[in-house]
Amino acid sequence: MAVIQEVARTRGTKTERRKGDGKAAAVFLAPWFAGLALITAFPLVASLYLSFTDYSLLAAPNWIGIDNYTRMFTDARFFQALEVTFTYVFVSVPLQLAAALALALVLDKGMRGLALYRSAFYLPSLLGGSVAIAILWRQVFGSDGLINQVLAFFGVQGVGWVSHPDYALGTLMVLNVWTFGAPMVIFLAGLRQIPVMYYEAASIDGAGKVRQFLGITLPLLTPIVFFNLVLQLIGAFQSFTQAYIVSGGTGGPVDSTLFYTLYLYQKGFASYEMGYASAMAWFLLLVVAGMTAVNFLASKFWVFYDD
Amino acid sequence: MRVTITRRAPRTTRTALVALTAAGALALTACAGGDSGAMPESDGEGGDGNVEIRFAWWGSDTRHETTQKIIDLFEEKNPGITVVPDFTDWDGYWDKLATSVAGGDTPDVMTQEERYLSDYATRGVIADLSELGVETSEIPEDVVATGEIDGKLYGIATGINAYALVADPEIFAQAGVEMPDDETWTWEDYVEIAGQVSAGAGDGVWGAQDYGFNEAGLNVLARQKGETLYNPDGTLGVSAETVAQFFQVSLDLMANDGQPDASRSVEFQNAGPEGSLLGTNTGAMGVWWSNQLGALSEASGHELELLRLPGESQYERTGMYFKPAMYYSVSATTEHPEESAKFVDFLLNDPEVAALQLTDRGLPSNLSVRESILGDLADADQRMADFMADLEDEIVDSPPVPPNGSAEMTDIMTRINTEVLFGDLTPEEAAEQFLSEVGAAIGS
Amino acid sequence: MTDTPVRPEARPQPTSGSRQALSEIAAEIPDTTPRRRVGARVRGLLKHLGLIAFGLVMLYPLLWMLSSSFKPTALIFREPGLVPTEWDFSNYGDGWSALLHPFHHYLINSALVVLGSVLGNLVSCSMAAYAFARLKFRGRNLWFAVMLMSIMLPIHVIIVPQYILFSSLEWINTFLPLIVPKLLATDAFFVFLMVQFFRGIPREFDEAARLDGCGHGRIFVQIMLPLALPALATTAIFTFIWTWNDFFSQLIFLTRPDMYTVPIALRTFVDATSNSSWGPLFAMSIVSLIPVFLVFLFGQKYLVKGIATTGIK
Repeated sequence: MAVIQEVARTRGTKTERRKGDGKAAAVFLAPWFAGLALITAFPLVASLYLSFTDYSLLAAPNWIGIDNYTRMFTDARFFQALEVTFTYVFVSVPLQLAAALALALVLDKGMRGLALYRSAFYLPSLLGGSVAIAILWRQVFGSDGLINQVLAFFGVQGVGWVSHPDYALGTLMVLNVWTFGAPMVIFLAGLRQIPVMYYEAASIDGAGKVRQFLGITLPLLTPIVFFNLVLQLIGAFQSFTQAYIVSGGTGGPVDSTLFYTLYLYQKGFASYEMGYASAMAWFLLLVVAGMTAVNFLASKFWVFYDD
Repeated sequence: MRVTITRRAPRTTRTALVALTAAGALALTACAGGDSGAMPESDGEGGDGNVEIRFAWWGSDTRHETTQKIIDLFEEKNPGITVVPDFTDWDGYWDKLATSVAGGDTPDVMTQEERYLSDYATRGVIADLSELGVETSEIPEDVVATGEIDGKLYGIATGINAYALVADPEIFAQAGVEMPDDETWTWEDYVEIAGQVSAGAGDGVWGAQDYGFNEAGLNVLARQKGETLYNPDGTLGVSAETVAQFFQVSLDLMANDGQPDASRSVEFQNAGPEGSLLGTNTGAMGVWWSNQLGALSEASGHELELLRLPGESQYERTGMYFKPAMYYSVSATTEHPEESAKFVDFLLNDPEVAALQLTDRGLPSNLSVRESILGDLADADQRMADFMADLEDEIVDSPPVPPNGSAEMTDIMTRINTEVLFGDLTPEEAAEQFLSEVGAAIGS
Repeated sequence: MTDTPVRPEARPQPTSGSRQALSEIAAEIPDTTPRRRVGARVRGLLKHLGLIAFGLVMLYPLLWMLSSSFKPTALIFREPGLVPTEWDFSNYGDGWSALLHPFHHYLINSALVVLGSVLGNLVSCSMAAYAFARLKFRGRNLWFAVMLMSIMLPIHVIIVPQYILFSSLEWINTFLPLIVPKLLATDAFFVFLMVQFFRGIPREFDEAARLDGCGHGRIFVQIMLPLALPALATTAIFTFIWTWNDFFSQLIFLTRPDMYTVPIALRTFVDATSNSSWGPLFAMSIVSLIPVFLVFLFGQKYLVKGIATTGIK
């Protein structure tokens, strides 16, 4: 730790950075560049190419130009999938992040049994993709399931939470909020990275808890909030597993949980229209990249970096 | 504050794109060079002339276990041929199979299913088995025909199933309702009886589970009326009137409480045999494939009975048929067609194979093999075999192999039926939508 | 690459306390703050009660799975209750030996894949992240955008070209397609995660080290990595859990039963078209959860060993 002590001693001495770190960057990025060239690039480029073809998976692709892209805009289920996905993303991502941040703040420090709480709260995220979990959802959210039994106790008539087209998507959003484990963990890690010296300084200045939170915790946590926002957004647009499990892969009832990726998967692997599926994927990429770019632009106004 | 992604970097953009494209091209070249279409490592090698073939199938652990025993037996009888197993569950199977075909690694021998057979056959993925000399003389001609497309034999039925009504005599008794005479009952009788059972059996027990999620029931009704779901030329052969009638039955059943409400119907449908009305002892009737009798009986904890679907003597002819449980198919690009054919031959015709797998891949299509295992069957399977034997003379013909794109049928059927159940579509509207969507899927 | 001035009120000024604080970075100080007042005690109690109630809701699925693993298969569907009316301990024994290999075979395979992936992600993603967070080089923003783009395409359209690629490399049915990409920092999630954490480390630290003659290698290893321990822990834990549970790519790339991993093995208990062994499935699902749960339970304490664990008095 000697280095860090030295660093501390010389803290605050700003120096002019060298013009560029090209060589060092080449070294540090070598694995990443190799990965890009060897692993990532080909599937990316190939799927772009395939999006301009009629490709059944079972036979060689045929170039058909932009037909796949124009076809999307005449496909009613494509629009249904878009609607479902956008609704899901814009409702569940903010809710999930809020839940994750709230729990992370509660579980940050100063309590007995923290490890157990954190682990318990992370558990649903562990179970998410298990085959067995489909049966559980039926028993919890079914017409005669746990939730409706509780409601009946209070004299409320329940519904089929995952089997009724009007409620299935809402249930999935609640389920998603419930698996806030991953962003919670990242928030926890982020909270722990805020140097205590800042709080000490603030205390000396007589700042209260609320002011410390608003003045230190929140601004210093913004890079992590930003990270979670960007990644959860990217992830939510590609949501697949939960709808797949709950609807048995159909996106049902009546396409009410037809997530974009689920529809794309059906097209690629059940209808053998991988060309169309690839076009849908690239359309999704444009949408998500656009939103991410907006996110990065907007981040100028609210994300605080210490560097 | 530095924001990374949004800053423009005009000078480097082009260089980067060039680099990216170059990398892609490099990968493509590497790909073209190495794509031999064969299994990696030790394919067909081995100094002693050992040949290796890969056999892919879907199923659950019991099937994997017996299939491994069958492979061991084959290897024992055929020194010099090694069979590599490649198995997973139904859903994963088709994703994996399509991907490996795309990658040029088609398994040498695979199990196929009628909704997928045409997709694989017409694109040249699987071979014409009649050219490979697989022995089919012990298999009835109409059963062999279920694997033929345009006169070529792309798959041989492992065994047969029938789409039939499974009934729970205990719930009938509990409701004080007589079991129907399945040779004469009509679709109207079915609705009425289901209503009576619901009324007599008490709360939370229903007469029947909704049958509208599976197109096989529609096919039976269509056949009874002299139509057919698919024509041999791959077009739709069912009339809008028949489709509407098919969906109307569900509505009638909901109207007289013969079946659960729409939400519950969706839930029971998604719950598989174990979570079905019959499996959980909450209903008297359900329509299933005959080979599921065992699973249903086990889940319910007591004996269930197989009945003919209603309407077998109501219209022009009988509609029930034998469906190939699955097929064995051989890759068109296999390096070892001879050994692959030998293995398929063994699977179909060796009585020892049948003794191991019994009815796990359907009631064996090979008649002499079927005969040989009848004595060893478990109770439920025994009844299934008897039921199938009774049907033998009544069945008029086998439906043709469903056309390309019929794998989408399940999704379309499920979606439209759900809309009917929730009252979003009338049976007539549903029929129209069904015909246009299926028509689009199969390109007719 | 100009630094926009930061809103002054948002930037707390480090004070003289920092030197002492920094010297204690490695010190292990328990993160409990003694509560002094009775009011605080009551509030703490309420907080615990709330958390416990909430925790039970979160734990319900696990308890249900556990209970189902002790039920005969048929009862799993007929009796939704948490306490089995009929205990069946055979699911564990049956499940362990039901497949072609004993279940520990699949656990070992999964462990190999997971260890390779964790190691790969830790090393390669942190290196890439250092470059993106701290180094100045041409095209940085563009490459960063390319990296993010690579995770915006759904796996379902990527997997087929990937298969073709790995097949041509003769990597199918080995662990290479699962591990090598991690060694090469293809998991953009973690690169971005660490970029954010690295950028949260005050730049004064490495500027000072630079003045003292440290190269990027030493700054990276001796300053950034220790200070970003929570991010490393997060990466390790998530990589472990996500790889352990990942079904699709393992299904596609591993074709022979002796290479199967836990998620594939679990799938072989059930099949939509034939008899399923639900009891053994639940039992083995519980078994396969134990490693991930333990990793999380013990790993999570490293999540909280950052800068902040210092200087509490």
